[in-house]
Amino acid sequence: MMTYIVFILSVIFVVSFVGFSSKPSPIYGGLVLIVSGGVGCGIIMNFGGSFLGLMVFLIYLGGMLVVFGYTTAMATEQYPEVWVSNTTVMGVFLLGLLMEVMLVLYVLKSEEVGVVFKFSGMGDWAIYDTGDSGVFSEEIMGVAALYSYGAWVVIVTGWSLFVGVLVILEVTRGD
Amino acid sequence: MNPLIFTTILMTVLLGTMIVMMSSHWLMIWIGFEMNLLAIIPILMKKYNPRTMEASTKYFLTQATASMLLMMAIIINLMHSGQWTITKVFNPTASIIMTSALAMKLGLTPFHFWVPEVTQGISLTSGLILLTWQKLAPMSILYQISPSINLNILLTMAVLSILVGGWGGLNQTQLRKIMAYSSIAHMGWMTAVLAYNPTLTMLNMLIYIMMTLTMFMLFIHSSSTTTLSLSHTWNKTPLTTTLILITLLSMGGLPPLSGFMPKWMIIQELTKNNSIILPTLMAIMALLNLYFYMRLTYSTSLTMFPSTNNMKMKWQFETKRITFLPPLIVMSSLLLPLTPMLSILD
Repeated sequence: MMTYIVFILSVIFVVSFVGFSSKPSPIYGGLVLIVSGGVGCGIIMNFGGSFLGLMVFLIYLGGMLVVFGYTTAMATEQYPEVWVSNTTVMGVFLLGLLMEVMLVLYVLKSEEVGVVFKFSGMGDWAIYDTGDSGVFSEEIMGVAALYSYGAWVVIVTGWSLFVGVLVILEVTRGD
Repeated sequence: MNPLIFTTILMTVLLGTMIVMMSSHWLMIWIGFEMNLLAIIPILMKKYNPRTMEASTKYFLTQATASMLLMMAIIINLMHSGQWTITKVFNPTASIIMTSALAMKLGLTPFHFWVPEVTQGISLTSGLILLTWQKLAPMSILYQISPSINLNILLTMAVLSILVGGWGGLNQTQLRKIMAYSSIAHMGWMTAVLAYNPTLTMLNMLIYIMMTLTMFMLFIHSSSTTTLSLSHTWNKTPLTTTLILITLLSMGGLPPLSGFMPKWMIIQELTKNNSIILPTLMAIMALLNLYFYMRLTYSTSLTMFPSTNNMKMKWQFETKRITFLPPLIVMSSLLLPLTPMLSILD
């Protein structure tokens, strides 16, 4: 099972995405978002990115999703929608689950899957330790490169975040 | 809006488009599109009524979907080519998805439904920015990936856009919707020649922007958003009726005005590439566009449009100062004799 852990984690990832795309109330959407964040962290960690996985937990789940949860709790209604309360939501959720199950069976059964991109069988999902990646871990060097060679990206993303705050304040200001 | 904040947000719109046009890394291009989208939302919502909010929401939803499709195409391209540089997109799937995403951003058929509704819901100045500046970024990306775009899809979208832009504008009396359908049709002309000679796309874009700027500024000057209101300009500033006449006929593509130049060059380029039926159809469908421009000139400049006697005098607001209107009018009507200068683009 450990060889195919990435495959299992991606299936859980997709299922939790289906869970919040079927639009229950935002509180329950946030719940499956936590699950999907944790599973996504697992996927990244399996590729050797322990720092980035920790970032997902700390910043995404522990910062952004907490704020989202608080604001949703302030704006929630008395009987929020669950997946089983509304026929439409349950129908979409089951449809998404069905499609994912069929895709998983297709991957497990056949040797080569070519939907948008090709991968041949289950072997492609396993992580191979492809030998020497040197003394330093690749993903830490990537983060270091972001702040040295990628200074322009930091400037652009920083400015986008700043303008995002300005935009949100302008939009919600009213008259 | 606080002027400092407004300037910051407007500069961010400019910065977003600049980042899209000047980046060589696909991710930065996507970031540029998102920055552009984020910053233009409060500009679209300058007045706080439900119509502008609905229009801004529609714009945000369609452009965000297009950005998501663009990101998917970028990742498929990454998977198949292993690099992030913007060049030809070698994988056909990625190319088709990217073309669809950029068509959604431009407002080409079959993704044109948001253009009239969004343009109608916002103020004239915001509509001006929407229909001119926002077209620059997606068109620049289309220019850069033009060698690898699937010709069938591109030409189908172009011809359908010209058809929809002409036909859809026939039943309109609201000026902003007329300009929106005109934009759809012009985008169709621009993308039709993209695979054959992308320089002409840029030429058409340049002349289209000049003409649309002129039209919008004339509308802003006479504070009119409906045909009826525009037909009273003879009362307020009679000179603008002549200018509206000239600019509208230029938009319709009539020689000897400068609007004829891109159409002529495009038809010539298409026939050089042995496609005869296509430019014939395009030229015939441009007549639909010309019809509703002519209807506008008929009601504005050529006749004194019937109205009740107490509506004939237009309320005189303080005259708005329109930047660069005289040079724009000259450029959007008198550039045709300069066509031989296009040879410098070789």
